[in-house]
Amino acid sequence: MRANVWSGRNTVQVENVPDPKILNDRDAIVKVTSTAICGSDLHLYDGYIPTMKRGDILGHEFMGEVVETGKGVGNLQAGDRVVVPFTIACGDCWSCRHELYSVCENSNPNAGIAEKMFGQPTAGIFGYSHITWRLRGRAGRVRARAIRGRRTDQDRERPPGRPGPVPVGHLPHRLLRRRPMRHRGRRGVAVFGAGPVGQFAIASAPSAWRPPTATERWTPSSE
Amino acid sequence: VSARASVTVGRARDEVERLWQSPDYRPEYIAGSGAEVTFADALGDRGTEIHVDLAGAKSGRLAGLAKKLARGVRRAKVKDDLRRFKQHVETGVIARSEGTPEGERAERKLSQRPAQPLSDSELEKAGI
Repeated sequence: MRANVWSGRNTVQVENVPDPKILNDRDAIVKVTSTAICGSDLHLYDGYIPTMKRGDILGHEFMGEVVETGKGVGNLQAGDRVVVPFTIACGDCWSCRHELYSVCENSNPNAGIAEKMFGQPTAGIFGYSHITWRLRGRAGRVRARAIRGRRTDQDRERPPGRPGPVPVGHLPHRLLRRRPMRHRGRRGVAVFGAGPVGQFAIASAPSAWRPPTATERWTPSSE
Repeated sequence: VSARASVTVGRARDEVERLWQSPDYRPEYIAGSGAEVTFADALGDRGTEIHVDLAGAKSGRLAGLAKKLARGVRRAKVKDDLRRFKQHVETGVIARSEGTPEGERAERKLSQRPAQPLSDSELEKAGI
Protein backbone atom coordinates (compact mmCIF):
# COMPACT_ATOMS: atom_id res chain seq x y z
CA MET A 1 0.00 0.00 0.00
CA ARG A 2 0.95 3.66 -0.21
CA ALA A 3 1.58 5.43 3.09
CA ASN A 4 2.57 8.83 4.39
CA VAL A 5 5.91 8.17 6.08
CA TRP A 6 7.85 10.35 8.52
CA SER A 7 11.51 10.40 7.64
CA GLY A 8 12.94 13.01 9.94
CA ARG A 9 12.16 16.44 11.31
CA ASN A 10 9.87 18.41 8.94
CA THR A 11 10.02 15.69 6.30
CA VAL A 12 7.28 13.29 5.24
CA GLN A 13 6.81 11.46 1.98
CA VAL A 14 4.40 9.02 0.40
CA GLU A 15 6.06 5.63 -0.06
CA ASN A 16 5.26 2.02 -0.88
CA VAL A 17 5.12 -0.16 2.24
CA PRO A 18 4.01 -3.78 2.81
CA ASP A 19 0.25 -4.37 3.19
CA PRO A 20 -0.86 -4.59 6.84
CA LYS A 21 -1.64 -7.96 8.41
CA ILE A 22 -3.83 -8.98 11.34
CA LEU A 23 -1.54 -9.06 14.41
CA ASN A 24 -4.09 -10.27 16.94
CA ASP A 25 -7.61 -11.70 16.87
CA ARG A 26 -9.27 -8.40 17.66
CA ASP A 27 -7.67 -6.39 14.86
CA ALA A 28 -9.48 -5.12 11.80
CA ILE A 29 -7.84 -3.79 8.68
CA VAL A 30 -9.49 -0.69 7.25
CA LYS A 31 -8.92 0.65 3.76
CA VAL A 32 -8.71 4.40 4.27
CA THR A 33 -11.04 6.32 1.95
CA SER A 34 -10.59 9.78 3.41
CA THR A 35 -8.42 11.26 6.07
CA ALA A 36 -7.60 14.56 7.73
CA ILE A 37 -4.45 16.16 9.05
CA CYS A 38 -4.89 16.98 12.71
CA GLY A 39 -3.22 19.92 14.42
CA SER A 40 -1.52 17.42 16.69
CA ASP A 41 0.13 15.77 13.66
CA LEU A 42 2.27 18.89 13.46
CA HIS A 43 3.95 17.99 16.76
CA LEU A 44 5.09 14.73 15.21
CA TYR A 45 6.01 16.36 11.91
CA ASP A 46 8.28 18.93 13.52
CA GLY A 47 9.91 16.48 15.93
CA TYR A 48 8.37 17.92 19.10
CA ILE A 49 7.09 14.56 20.35
CA PRO A 50 9.87 12.13 21.33
CA THR A 51 10.14 8.46 20.28
CA MET A 52 9.45 9.04 16.58
CA LYS A 53 11.35 6.70 14.28
CA ARG A 54 12.35 7.15 10.70
CA GLY A 55 9.81 5.19 8.65
CA ASP A 56 6.84 5.69 10.99
CA ILE A 57 3.49 6.01 9.22
CA LEU A 58 1.50 9.05 10.34
CA GLY A 59 -2.21 9.67 10.67
CA HIS A 60 -4.99 9.24 13.19
CA GLU A 61 -8.07 10.93 11.71
CA PHE A 62 -9.57 8.62 9.12
CA MET A 63 -12.54 6.74 7.79
CA GLY A 64 -12.79 3.87 5.39
CA GLU A 65 -13.97 0.40 4.56
CA VAL A 66 -13.28 -2.77 6.53
CA VAL A 67 -11.38 -5.26 4.38
CA GLU A 68 -10.45 -7.91 6.93
CA THR A 69 -11.24 -8.76 10.55
CA GLY A 70 -9.54 -10.98 13.11
CA LYS A 71 -11.27 -14.09 14.48
CA GLY A 72 -12.26 -12.28 17.66
CA VAL A 73 -14.16 -9.44 15.99
CA GLY A 74 -17.89 -10.15 16.01
CA ASN A 75 -19.41 -6.77 15.29
CA LEU A 76 -17.71 -5.77 12.03
CA GLN A 77 -17.32 -7.46 8.68
CA ALA A 78 -15.60 -6.81 5.40
CA GLY A 79 -17.40 -4.13 3.46
CA ASP A 80 -18.61 -2.13 6.48
CA ARG A 81 -17.95 1.58 6.20
CA VAL A 82 -16.50 3.01 9.38
CA VAL A 83 -15.39 6.25 11.01
CA VAL A 84 -12.53 5.67 13.41
CA PRO A 85 -11.86 7.60 16.61
CA PHE A 86 -8.15 7.97 17.24
CA THR A 87 -7.84 6.52 20.73
CA ILE A 88 -7.88 2.75 20.93
CA ALA A 89 -10.08 1.17 23.58
CA CYS A 90 -10.31 -2.48 24.62
CA GLY A 91 -13.82 -2.17 26.04
CA ASP A 92 -13.08 -4.57 28.87
CA CYS A 93 -10.97 -2.71 31.41
CA TRP A 94 -12.34 -0.61 34.26
CA SER A 95 -11.62 2.66 32.43
CA CYS A 96 -13.40 1.56 29.24
CA ARG A 97 -16.38 0.28 31.19
CA HIS A 98 -16.63 3.76 32.70
CA GLU A 99 -16.33 5.44 29.27
CA LEU A 100 -12.83 6.77 30.01
CA TYR A 101 -11.56 5.48 26.67
CA SER A 102 -8.50 7.73 26.45
CA VAL A 103 -6.97 5.95 29.44
CA CYS A 104 -7.77 2.40 28.33
CA GLU A 105 -5.53 0.14 30.42
CA ASN A 106 -4.86 -2.50 27.78
CA SER A 107 -4.51 -0.97 24.32
CA ASN A 108 -1.09 0.69 24.55
CA PRO A 109 1.66 -1.76 23.55
CA ASN A 110 4.30 0.61 24.94
CA ALA A 111 2.62 1.52 28.20
CA GLY A 112 5.96 1.16 30.01
CA ILE A 113 7.47 4.12 28.16
CA ALA A 114 4.40 6.28 28.71
CA GLU A 115 4.34 5.36 32.38
CA LYS A 116 7.97 6.36 32.78
CA MET A 117 7.40 9.70 31.07
CA PHE A 118 3.95 10.71 32.32
CA GLY A 119 3.64 8.70 35.52
CA GLN A 120 0.56 7.00 34.06
CA PRO A 121 0.13 5.53 30.58
CA THR A 122 -2.56 6.64 28.13
CA ALA A 123 -4.52 4.44 25.76
CA GLY A 124 -2.93 3.44 22.47
CA ILE A 125 -3.44 5.99 19.69
CA PHE A 126 -3.27 5.33 15.96
CA GLY A 127 -0.09 6.60 14.34
CA TYR A 128 1.01 8.82 17.18
CA SER A 129 4.65 8.20 18.20
CA HIS A 130 5.99 5.10 19.90
CA ILE A 131 4.66 6.22 23.28
CA THR A 132 1.19 5.35 22.10
CA TRP A 133 1.72 3.76 18.76
CA ARG A 134 -0.57 1.50 16.87
CA LEU A 135 -0.46 1.65 13.12
CA ARG A 136 -3.43 3.30 11.47
CA GLY A 137 -5.97 0.92 10.06
CA ARG A 138 -6.66 -1.43 12.90
CA ALA A 139 -9.36 -1.36 15.51
CA GLY A 140 -10.19 -2.98 18.81
CA ARG A 141 -13.59 -4.26 19.81
CA VAL A 142 -15.20 -1.26 21.42
CA ARG A 143 -13.88 1.00 18.77
CA ALA A 144 -15.43 -1.23 16.19
CA ARG A 145 -18.76 -1.06 17.97
CA ALA A 146 -18.41 2.67 18.30
CA ILE A 147 -17.75 3.14 14.64
CA ARG A 148 -20.65 0.96 13.66
CA GLY A 149 -22.94 3.01 15.83
CA ARG A 150 -21.96 6.06 13.90
CA ARG A 151 -23.02 4.65 10.62
CA THR A 152 -26.51 5.91 9.94
CA ASP A 153 -29.04 4.37 7.60
CA GLN A 154 -28.89 7.52 5.59
CA ASP A 155 -25.18 7.09 5.16
CA ARG A 156 -25.61 3.54 3.94
CA GLU A 157 -28.11 4.67 1.33
CA ARG A 158 -26.31 7.68 0.08
CA PRO A 159 -24.97 7.62 -3.48
CA PRO A 160 -21.20 7.70 -3.98
CA GLY A 161 -19.70 11.13 -3.84
CA ARG A 162 -22.26 12.66 -1.53
CA PRO A 163 -20.86 14.20 1.64
CA GLY A 164 -20.72 11.72 4.47
CA PRO A 165 -19.29 11.46 7.94
CA VAL A 166 -15.98 13.23 8.40
CA PRO A 167 -13.40 12.21 10.99
CA VAL A 168 -13.28 15.29 13.11
CA GLY A 169 -10.17 17.26 13.81
CA HIS A 170 -9.90 20.89 12.96
CA LEU A 171 -9.83 20.24 9.24
CA PRO A 172 -13.48 19.27 8.66
CA HIS A 173 -14.62 22.84 8.50
CA ARG A 174 -12.88 23.00 5.18
CA LEU A 175 -14.52 19.81 4.02
CA LEU A 176 -17.88 20.94 5.35
CA ARG A 177 -17.59 24.13 3.39
CA ARG A 178 -16.34 22.63 0.20
CA ARG A 179 -18.01 19.30 -0.27
CA PRO A 180 -21.71 20.06 0.06
CA MET A 181 -21.34 22.88 -2.40
CA ARG A 182 -20.95 20.36 -5.16
CA HIS A 183 -24.40 19.03 -4.42
CA ARG A 184 -27.31 21.37 -4.42
CA GLY A 185 -30.12 20.20 -2.26
CA ARG A 186 -30.12 19.57 1.44
CA ARG A 187 -27.28 21.18 3.27
CA GLY A 188 -26.92 20.30 6.86
CA VAL A 189 -24.54 18.89 9.35
CA ALA A 190 -24.87 16.69 12.37
CA VAL A 191 -22.15 16.92 14.99
CA PHE A 192 -21.76 13.90 17.22
CA GLY A 193 -20.37 15.06 20.54
CA ALA A 194 -20.46 18.74 21.45
CA GLY A 195 -17.10 18.99 23.20
CA PRO A 196 -14.51 21.58 22.15
CA VAL A 197 -13.87 19.97 18.76
CA GLY A 198 -17.60 19.59 18.10
CA GLN A 199 -18.16 23.23 19.03
CA PHE A 200 -15.49 24.22 16.58
CA ALA A 201 -17.14 22.21 13.82
CA ILE A 202 -20.47 23.90 14.62
CA ALA A 203 -18.86 27.33 14.53
CA SER A 204 -17.26 26.47 11.18
CA ALA A 205 -20.48 25.51 9.42
CA PRO A 206 -21.46 28.12 6.82
CA SER A 207 -24.12 30.42 8.17
CA ALA A 208 -26.34 29.85 5.14
CA TRP A 209 -26.93 26.32 6.31
CA ARG A 210 -29.64 25.42 8.68
CA PRO A 211 -28.23 25.31 12.22
CA PRO A 212 -26.15 22.21 12.90
CA THR A 213 -27.73 19.45 14.90
CA ALA A 214 -25.49 18.41 17.76
CA THR A 215 -25.63 15.64 20.30
CA GLU A 216 -24.46 16.60 23.72
CA ARG A 217 -22.99 13.20 24.24
CA TRP A 218 -22.73 10.37 21.84
CA THR A 219 -23.38 6.86 23.13
CA PRO A 220 -22.58 3.74 21.16
CA SER A 221 -25.73 1.89 20.19
CA SER A 222 -25.96 -1.73 21.23
CA GLU A 223 -25.69 -4.34 18.55
CA VAL B 1 14.87 1.43 42.55
CA SER B 2 11.73 0.02 44.06
CA ALA B 3 11.61 -3.75 44.33
CA ARG B 4 7.87 -3.91 43.99
CA ALA B 5 5.48 -3.90 41.07
CA SER B 6 1.74 -4.33 40.95
CA VAL B 7 -1.27 -4.35 38.66
CA THR B 8 -5.03 -4.45 39.14
CA VAL B 9 -6.94 -7.00 37.09
CA GLY B 10 -10.69 -6.65 36.67
CA ARG B 11 -11.63 -10.15 37.74
CA ALA B 12 -12.53 -11.82 41.03
CA ARG B 13 -9.63 -13.01 43.16
CA ASP B 14 -10.27 -16.75 42.85
CA GLU B 15 -10.38 -16.46 39.06
CA VAL B 16 -7.17 -14.38 38.94
CA GLU B 17 -5.34 -16.85 41.19
CA ARG B 18 -6.52 -19.79 39.11
CA LEU B 19 -5.48 -18.17 35.79
CA TRP B 20 -2.12 -17.10 37.26
CA GLN B 21 -1.31 -20.79 37.76
CA SER B 22 -2.74 -22.04 34.46
CA PRO B 23 -0.25 -22.88 31.68
CA ASP B 24 -1.91 -20.54 29.13
CA TYR B 25 -1.68 -17.45 31.31
CA ARG B 26 1.31 -18.17 33.58
CA PRO B 27 3.74 -15.21 33.55
CA GLU B 28 7.03 -16.87 32.59
CA TYR B 29 9.48 -14.29 33.88
CA ILE B 30 7.88 -13.79 37.27
CA ALA B 31 7.45 -17.54 37.74
CA GLY B 32 11.17 -18.07 37.12
CA SER B 33 12.48 -15.17 39.22
CA GLY B 34 11.68 -16.36 42.70
CA ALA B 35 9.77 -13.17 43.45
CA GLU B 36 7.09 -13.14 46.11
CA VAL B 37 3.59 -12.79 44.65
CA THR B 38 0.55 -11.83 46.70
CA PHE B 39 -3.08 -11.26 45.73
CA ALA B 40 -5.55 -8.88 47.38
CA ASP B 41 -9.13 -7.81 46.70
CA ALA B 42 -9.09 -4.37 45.07
CA LEU B 43 -11.26 -1.60 46.43
CA GLY B 44 -14.68 -1.01 44.91
CA ASP B 45 -15.52 -2.94 41.76
CA ARG B 46 -11.98 -3.05 40.45
CA GLY B 47 -11.21 -6.72 40.84
CA THR B 48 -7.92 -8.06 42.19
CA GLU B 49 -4.53 -6.50 42.94
CA ILE B 50 -1.44 -8.55 42.14
CA HIS B 51 1.70 -7.53 44.04
CA VAL B 52 5.16 -8.74 43.11
CA ASP B 53 8.06 -8.19 45.51
CA LEU B 54 11.55 -8.75 44.10
CA ALA B 55 13.42 -8.04 47.34
CA GLY B 56 13.86 -11.73 48.10
CA ALA B 57 14.58 -12.77 44.52
CA LYS B 58 17.97 -14.12 43.50
CA SER B 59 20.34 -11.40 42.30
CA GLY B 60 23.54 -13.38 41.79
CA ARG B 61 26.84 -11.96 43.06
CA LEU B 62 26.34 -8.36 42.04
CA ALA B 63 26.92 -5.52 44.43
CA GLY B 64 26.23 -1.80 44.72
CA LEU B 65 25.29 0.04 41.52
CA ALA B 66 25.28 -3.10 39.36
CA LYS B 67 22.79 -4.65 41.73
CA LYS B 68 20.58 -1.58 41.53
CA LEU B 69 20.66 -1.56 37.72
CA ALA B 70 19.93 -5.25 37.51
CA ARG B 71 16.98 -4.75 39.80
CA GLY B 72 15.64 -1.98 37.52
CA VAL B 73 15.78 -4.29 34.51
CA ARG B 74 14.15 -7.12 36.41
CA ARG B 75 11.36 -4.85 37.62
CA ALA B 76 10.71 -3.67 34.04
CA LYS B 77 10.37 -7.30 32.95
CA VAL B 78 8.08 -8.05 35.86
CA LYS B 79 5.89 -5.11 34.84
CA ASP B 80 5.78 -6.43 31.25
CA ASP B 81 4.56 -9.76 32.59
CA LEU B 82 1.92 -8.08 34.74
CA ARG B 83 0.61 -5.97 31.85
CA ARG B 84 0.50 -8.93 29.50
CA PHE B 85 -1.33 -11.00 32.09
CA LYS B 86 -3.88 -8.22 32.58
CA GLN B 87 -4.33 -7.78 28.82
CA HIS B 88 -4.72 -11.51 28.28
CA VAL B 89 -7.24 -11.97 31.11
CA GLU B 90 -9.31 -8.84 30.43
CA THR B 91 -9.31 -8.77 26.61
CA GLY B 92 -8.28 -12.25 25.50
CA VAL B 93 -5.35 -10.93 23.44
CA ILE B 94 -1.96 -9.25 23.87
CA ALA B 95 -1.81 -5.67 22.57
CA ARG B 96 0.53 -5.61 19.57
CA SER B 97 1.55 -2.95 17.09
CA GLU B 98 3.86 -2.69 14.11
CA GLY B 99 6.39 -0.87 16.31
CA THR B 100 6.19 -3.58 18.99
CA PRO B 101 4.88 -6.72 17.27
CA GLU B 102 5.67 -9.04 20.21
CA GLY B 103 3.64 -6.87 22.57
CA GLU B 104 5.10 -5.05 25.55
CA ARG B 105 8.72 -6.06 26.17
CA ALA B 106 11.36 -4.23 28.15
CA GLU B 107 14.05 -5.30 25.68
CA ARG B 108 12.12 -3.64 22.86
CA LYS B 109 11.83 -0.25 24.53
CA LEU B 110 15.05 1.18 23.11
CA SER B 111 14.99 -0.72 19.83
CA GLN B 112 11.59 -0.06 18.33
CA ARG B 113 11.11 -0.95 14.70
CA PRO B 114 9.52 1.67 12.43
CA ALA B 115 5.72 1.54 12.68
CA GLN B 116 5.19 0.04 9.24
CA PRO B 117 3.52 -3.26 8.31
CA LEU B 118 5.78 -6.28 8.82
CA SER B 119 7.12 -8.57 6.15
CA ASP B 120 6.26 -12.28 6.35
CA SER B 121 9.64 -13.18 7.81
CA GLU B 122 9.33 -10.50 10.50
CA LEU B 123 5.85 -11.77 11.38
CA GLU B 124 7.22 -15.27 11.79
CA LYS B 125 10.04 -14.00 13.96
CA ALA B 126 7.57 -12.18 16.21
CA GLY B 127 5.55 -15.38 16.57
CA ILE B 128 2.44 -14.20 14.73
